[in-house]
Amino acid sequence: MAEVEETLKRIQNHKGVIGTMVVNAEGIPIRTTLDNSTTVQYAGLLHQLTMKARSTVRDIDPQNDLTFLRIRSKKHEIMVAPDKEYLLIVIQNPCE
Amino acid sequence: MPISPVESRKQPSLALNVGSQPKKSISFTGSVKRNQSKGYAGANQSRMGTSRILTILPETKVEKMNISATKLVSQVFDAHGVDVTPRPLYHPDPHLVSGKPNKLLTSQEGSFVSEFVGSHTLYQNTLNPSVLGLFTRSVFGSSTVSKSSASTTESIAEDLEETSYKREGLTSFTDLRVMRKTTGKILTKEDLEKIVEIILTETETLRLFDLPTVVISVEAEEAAKVIQRNKNYENLCRNRLGNDLYVERMMQTINGAPKNKDVQCDRIIKEDKGIMSTAWDLYDSYNALELSSVPVRYSTVDLSTKASAPSKDQDQRGPGSTTEKNSEASSIMEIENVILAKMHDDQEDHSDAILKSEKFQQDLFFMERVLMENIFQPKLAAYRQLPILKEPEPEELEDFSESEKIEEIEEDFKKEEEEIEINEEQSIIPANLERLWSFSCDLTKGLNVSSLAWNKTNPDLLAVGYGHFGFKEQKKGLACCWSIKNPMWPERIYQSPYGVTAVDFSVGAPNLLAVGYHNGTVAIYNVQSNSSVPVLDSSESPQKHLGPVWQLQWIEQDRGTTGDDKREILVSISADGRISKWVIRKGLYCHDLMRLKRTTFGSNKRGGEKEKKGEALISRQAPGMCFAFHPKDTNIYLAGTEEGHIHKCSCSYNEQYLDTYRGHKLRMRAEWRFGTFTPAHCLLVGDSDGQVAVYELRNIPTALDSGRRDMIDTLLGPSSNQPG
Repeated sequence: MAEVEETLKRIQNHKGVIGTMVVNAEGIPIRTTLDNSTTVQYAGLLHQLTMKARSTVRDIDPQNDLTFLRIRSKKHEIMVAPDKEYLLIVIQNPCE
Repeated sequence: MPISPVESRKQPSLALNVGSQPKKSISFTGSVKRNQSKGYAGANQSRMGTSRILTILPETKVEKMNISATKLVSQVFDAHGVDVTPRPLYHPDPHLVSGKPNKLLTSQEGSFVSEFVGSHTLYQNTLNPSVLGLFTRSVFGSSTVSKSSASTTESIAEDLEETSYKREGLTSFTDLRVMRKTTGKILTKEDLEKIVEIILTETETLRLFDLPTVVISVEAEEAAKVIQRNKNYENLCRNRLGNDLYVERMMQTINGAPKNKDVQCDRIIKEDKGIMSTAWDLYDSYNALELSSVPVRYSTVDLSTKASAPSKDQDQRGPGSTTEKNSEASSIMEIENVILAKMHDDQEDHSDAILKSEKFQQDLFFMERVLMENIFQPKLAAYRQLPILKEPEPEELEDFSESEKIEEIEEDFKKEEEEIEINEEQSIIPANLERLWSFSCDLTKGLNVSSLAWNKTNPDLLAVGYGHFGFKEQKKGLACCWSIKNPMWPERIYQSPYGVTAVDFSVGAPNLLAVGYHNGTVAIYNVQSNSSVPVLDSSESPQKHLGPVWQLQWIEQDRGTTGDDKREILVSISADGRISKWVIRKGLYCHDLMRLKRTTFGSNKRGGEKEKKGEALISRQAPGMCFAFHPKDTNIYLAGTEEGHIHKCSCSYNEQYLDTYRGHKLRMRAEWRFGTFTPAHCLLVGDSDGQVAVYELRNIPTALDSGRRDMIDTLLGPSSNQPG
């Protein structure tokens, strides 16, 4: 457990990382470094997108599954590691 | 119209609304009833045992029925007194009546009695249940009324009261209906998830409409007759026109008076359900069917073991990760936890379970790697000789290089293609080295790097040993495995109380890392597992080294004599003057390959006369510093001692040197490689003077090249160029 905390902390302290969030399947944040409203917003939107992405991947090949999702935008990069029970979201600004 | 015999019948009437005050019904029924006691009987079927028949007409039924004012118990008589009341379309089954307690009745007696008064006299089987549909289910096990309409109300009332008690089964279907309503229990979640078997069967064919065909096949038996008849008819039609036999005449028929009849059925409850059918959904469902054969217990057992296993791993790991920052972080986390702790326990347990789950750790691991890649992308790409992704913005970001312009980076990129190793080399064109990144973290601050080793199988993995070079102050040592994909935190951390002096990865089993310590211990770690406990340790071996182990190497040796195949042995050389070979059987077994003796001394004393301290100068053994095995013939190796001599030895002889070469002073590191430019063997030797010497080994080694460097360890990367 301490290992997990430590890794989360290291991730948060990486260069350019704006926020780190872990939300459960219902969209309730378990760990977050951003404020609650932002977290809930991200969680809700990314949850839908992840489901859509996963559906796409599996429609093409049902034995495949989504492991990681990266969204590169002008300002940030949003990285999502989805799972059935949680979402791990990290927002990084790589051009800092 | 015989009055129905004195038998009770089931009254398909209604007692539905318990509370409904049938005043209305009384009022009108009172007026009507008297006339209608005449038997209705013909239509009755249901019979039961007691004496009277009573009917109750809740007013709702009355309204619904929509019959004329004479309603429910209407009986229709034509001019001759013939009973032409329509028959009921539904005949309730008399056997369905069960002896239900008559609570409805008993509670409603008051209200009903009045009704009875009004209505009782007449109704025999009142109410066609057909008219009322499902409403008309209440059944009174009561007696038939054999009285005529002239019976007094009082007697009727008495009778009513009697029968009301005697009523066995008010099996009202209204009862049933009420019951039905209450039995609509709330479905629990398990019920919803239960697999319900729905068996679809074919009902018997109900003929709703039958239109017999008027077409016959030409080949049928009656075909001839039909054809004849058709012909006759045609003839008839043709002849009819002018024929006297047929006269047209108008007629008027009596149209029967139409009658409206309304029927109402139960409200059909509809539910909408939508689902999107996807390929993976189907696939999952098929797989779920297959997997459902596995008992559920297994899954719970698995869950429990899985939950315990990762927690164990976490406990073992991270001995060195308890810094102050960690405690701060954990306190912040605890505050957050307290805030979040307002949810129910279930959710908290669940979120903990999520955090502790193995999948989560793996995801964290990947996430960190991805972040690293983002940060270090240009450097990593340069290392791997892949194109660097340029950011769309003109401002460039993280730079370890000296200049910050894009053009310079491109220039450097080309030059780096030649210089990938950590080692420097001399060449005619002065090369430019760009520092890509450095492996450093909090743990390694202040420690000297004492040894490096690349993993042979996974070229991204680098093992680094940290120790101290001041021999007076020996602090705790560290061996770390770094991955190129994550330059900011090592993948594995192995701590020890002694400084690490040598590391090497095994070739045959690339997950084994041998670590040599300053106190002479040799330990072997399995880097695949997370545990920081060595797989094997030589600290209890009676033949362990007593001086710092300066070099370790895994050698594949032909063990032809013992009949084994090529087996890997670990060879170590230490300052106590022994070159030992370690074999892994059940533990670490040591076998001396060679004892290095001082050549200035002539004596050959060995045996138990070893000093305890490795670097004691009065030892008769020469402290060994380095060795290098012949790349092809692993029997031959060179060993360098602290005196500055290089001895050529063989595994077969552990007493004698084959040859000795002099020329260096003190403290060497050697690496033996087959030269790429010359057919002979080259030996690269560096010493503490800062000299690098390259020897070509023929019979007498001659120094071909040397340059000034100050370094402690020479480790040639996998793609090194040998100067010839």
